[in-house]
Amino acid sequence: MLKDFQTFGRDLFLAGLNSSHSGNLSVRCGDRIVITRRGAMLGHLEERDLIETGLDKNDSNIILASTEIRVHRAIYKGTAALAVVHAHPVHAIALSLLEDEIIPLDSEGAYLLHKIPVLSAEHTIGSQELEEKLPSLLKEYKIVMVRGHGSFATGQLLEEAYQWTSSLENICRIIHITRALKGEVKDKRSSKYKEW
Amino acid sequence: MGFCGWFGKTLRVNLSTGIITEENIGQKVLSDWIGGRGIGAWVVAGEVPACCDPLGEENKLVFATGPLTGAGVPGAGRFSASAKSPLTGTILDSNAGGRWGIRLKKNGYDMLIIEGTSAGPVYLKIEEGTASLHEAGDLWGADVRETNDKLKDKLGNETSIACIGPAGENLVKFASVMNDGHRALGRGGLGAVMGAKKLKAVAAKGSRKVEVANKEKFDFMIYEAGKWLKANPITSQGLPEFGTPVLVKLFNALGVFPTRNFQGSQYPDALNISGETIAELMTAGRKGCYGCPVQCARLLKTKTGTTLGPEYESIWALGPECGIGDLDTIVEANHLCNQLGLDTVSTGVTIGCTMELEEKGIFNTGLSFGDTTGMLRAIKQIAYREGDGDLLAEGSRRLAERCGAGQYAMQVKGLELTAYDPRGLQGMGLGFATSNRGGCHLRAYMAGPEALGVPKMVDRFSAGGKAGLTITQQNVSAAIDSLIACRFINLAVSEEYFARILSAVTGVDYQTQDLHRIGERIWNLERLFNLREGFDCSHDTLPPRLLEEPIQEGPSSGSVVELKPMLEEYYRFRGWNESGVPSPGKLRELGLEDFKC
Repeated sequence: MLKDFQTFGRDLFLAGLNSSHSGNLSVRCGDRIVITRRGAMLGHLEERDLIETGLDKNDSNIILASTEIRVHRAIYKGTAALAVVHAHPVHAIALSLLEDEIIPLDSEGAYLLHKIPVLSAEHTIGSQELEEKLPSLLKEYKIVMVRGHGSFATGQLLEEAYQWTSSLENICRIIHITRALKGEVKDKRSSKYKEW
Repeated sequence: MGFCGWFGKTLRVNLSTGIITEENIGQKVLSDWIGGRGIGAWVVAGEVPACCDPLGEENKLVFATGPLTGAGVPGAGRFSASAKSPLTGTILDSNAGGRWGIRLKKNGYDMLIIEGTSAGPVYLKIEEGTASLHEAGDLWGADVRETNDKLKDKLGNETSIACIGPAGENLVKFASVMNDGHRALGRGGLGAVMGAKKLKAVAAKGSRKVEVANKEKFDFMIYEAGKWLKANPITSQGLPEFGTPVLVKLFNALGVFPTRNFQGSQYPDALNISGETIAELMTAGRKGCYGCPVQCARLLKTKTGTTLGPEYESIWALGPECGIGDLDTIVEANHLCNQLGLDTVSTGVTIGCTMELEEKGIFNTGLSFGDTTGMLRAIKQIAYREGDGDLLAEGSRRLAERCGAGQYAMQVKGLELTAYDPRGLQGMGLGFATSNRGGCHLRAYMAGPEALGVPKMVDRFSAGGKAGLTITQQNVSAAIDSLIACRFINLAVSEEYFARILSAVTGVDYQTQDLHRIGERIWNLERLFNLREGFDCSHDTLPPRLLEEPIQEGPSSGSVVELKPMLEEYYRFRGWNESGVPSPGKLRELGLEDFKC
C-alpha cells in the first residue's frame, strides 16, 4: 500500500497537480481509512505519513490525519469508492473560477469524463458544506471541482482516482490554450456533454 | 403510473393445477431489484420454503428479463433463471443470451414464475400475451436440437425455445436449460429443476414494443456505447476475431490455466486449442446475441458439419482439465453436452475428478487423463445416468465424498470451479470462496483487475486490498446481472454508462452508486438465503489443494491462496460479523431486516 501512495503522491507533485505540501490521498479498507498525514509532502511520502483511522469512529490517530479527513469519510460513506485523490490542479482551479461546469473540448477528455461539475462553497477546506455536497455529486461523476480550491476524484484504486485528476488538468489546459488562440472552435461534439 | 422499460407484469404458471395467472409487479419492487438476477433472488428468497427439496414441488423456477431487454441496447438481450440449486442447495441464478429473453419480454411480461410439478411431460407456449400448457410426451427423450426442430415446425420460426435435453429429464444435478438451440443457462442444475417439474420446454413469441422514457438521451447513450465498444480492443478486436477462446493463450502464459483436475497450472500444447488456432483452422463464421455488435460466438466447421464452438471455459473443462488437448474431441464433447443439456464446466470438472480418483486408485472406472474416447462415453453415461455415470451425474462433490476423497473435488459449495487457478490470482480465490452460488468466476471476475487490467492492473499475487475490490466487483456484477446485460460489454463500458441508459429507458433516476447499492442488496439477500439453508462461514473456502499445495512450476510457481486474511477483511468490509452473518445494521441499511434466516 505504501508503494501505491508513494507512486501516485510523487506523480501528482511532479505533474504539477499539487504544490509541495498540498493535496491528500486515501484508501478505504473495510471500516478503516488510510489517509495521508496533515502537512505531508506527497512527493516524498514515508511510512509515518500514512495515518490509519476509523471510517466512522475517531481514534487518537485522528490528530495526525489530513485536514480533509471528514470529506474523505463522507465520500466513502456516500459512495462505493475505495480510493480518493484530492489535488490542486492549477488550470482546473483557474477555470473553476469562471465556469459552473467544465466540458471537455478534446475527444480523450470527453471519452473519459464527459463533464466535470464545479461546486461552490463558502468554506472550502475541511468543510462541513463539502462533506454534505460532494458525495452526492461523486455518485454521478468520477471527479468534481470545488471552485477555487481543487479536485476530488474517486476510484476503486488510487491509480483510477489519479487518472481522473490528471485527465481533468489536461482537459483544462486544452481549454485554456484554445481560448487563448481566440479562434472559432469547429468541433461541436462537446455540446452534447452538457446533458451528461 | 405507466411503465417504461418494464411492463410491470408477471406470468405465473402452476404445473400441479394447470392454473395460469397474470400478476402486477409494483414499481418499488422493480426499482429496487431491477430484473434478472435481482428480482429472481427476491422471488426465490421470498417464496421458496426453507430447506425444501430443490427437485420437489416446492421449488420455483423464475425466468426474468430486465428493463433493457428488448429495448435495443447492445449486449442487453439477455434473460436469467433462478431457483434453489439441486447441485449446491444454494440460491442460484444463471443467465443466457440469444433471442428467447427478448421474445418472452415482448409478450408483455418481465417475469415468468413456474411452480408445482406436472403429472406428465408438458411444454408451455407463450404467444402474444397468451399462455397455454401442452402435452409433451412426444418430446420427452429428445435431445435439444430435435426438441427445437419439432417445436419450431409446430409453432413457427419466429418462436424461441428454451428446453431441456435428456440430462434434465434424468435429473442430472448439473443439467442445463438450453435456449435458441445453443445458448445455455448452464450452471447449477436449472435443467434438473425443469426436468423434475416435467416441463420439457417453454416456447415464446411476442411483438410488443418496449417503451423508452427518454428517447433523446437513449439515442445519445447508444451512440456513446458504440464509441466505447469500438475503442476497446477487447470488444472491437479480441472477442470479434477470436471469441472467448482468446483467453486460452493469455491465462496459460500466466500459469493459471488449470490442468488435470488442478494438479498443474500450464498446458504445454495450449496453442493447439487457442483462439488463434481455432480462428485459423475451424472458424466458419461469427454469431451473437440479437443487436450486439461484438458477435463473440464462433461457428465452427467440423468433420460432420458445423457447430457453435466451445467457449473458453468449455475448451478448458473438456480439454486440459481432463488432460485432453485434441481440438476435434473438445469441439465434439462441447456439442454433445449442448445437445444432451449438460453444463460443460461441471461435466468436464467432474470427469477430471473421476480421472484423478482413477489415477490414485480410489475409484476404478478405467477413465484416465487424456482418454478422449472415454470422456465422450462418460458424457453420454452422465446424461442417461448409465453405469458409473449415475454417480458422476451427482457432481464432483458428491462423487468424491462417496469415495471418501472429498478433497479431490475442485468445487466451492458444490459448484465446480472454472478455468482460473486462483493460486496465481489471489482475488479470484476470494471471489470463488465467497460466491453465493458456489465456484463461479463471474460473480466478481477478479481476473479483470488481476490479469486484464480492467479497471486497472493490480498485483495478482498480493492478497492486500483484494477484499474491497472483490466486494465492489461482486456488487456491480449483481446489478449488471439484473439489468440484464452482458459482462463483455461491461469490459468496455462502465457501470456509469449502465446507470445512465437505465435512467433513459425507465425514466427512474439511477446514479452509478445506486447500482452499487442495489448490487449490495442482492448480494446480502442471496447470503441470507444461503444462511437459512444451513450454509455458514465454513463453506466460504476452497479445495485444500488450492490452500496448501503450491503451484509446482511456471510463472505462478510457489503460490497458494492466502484466503484467511482476505476473508477476515472481506467480512468486516461487508458489515458482517466474524461468522459471515450480516449485522442487523447492515440489513436495516439495505431494507432487508424482515428477511428471516
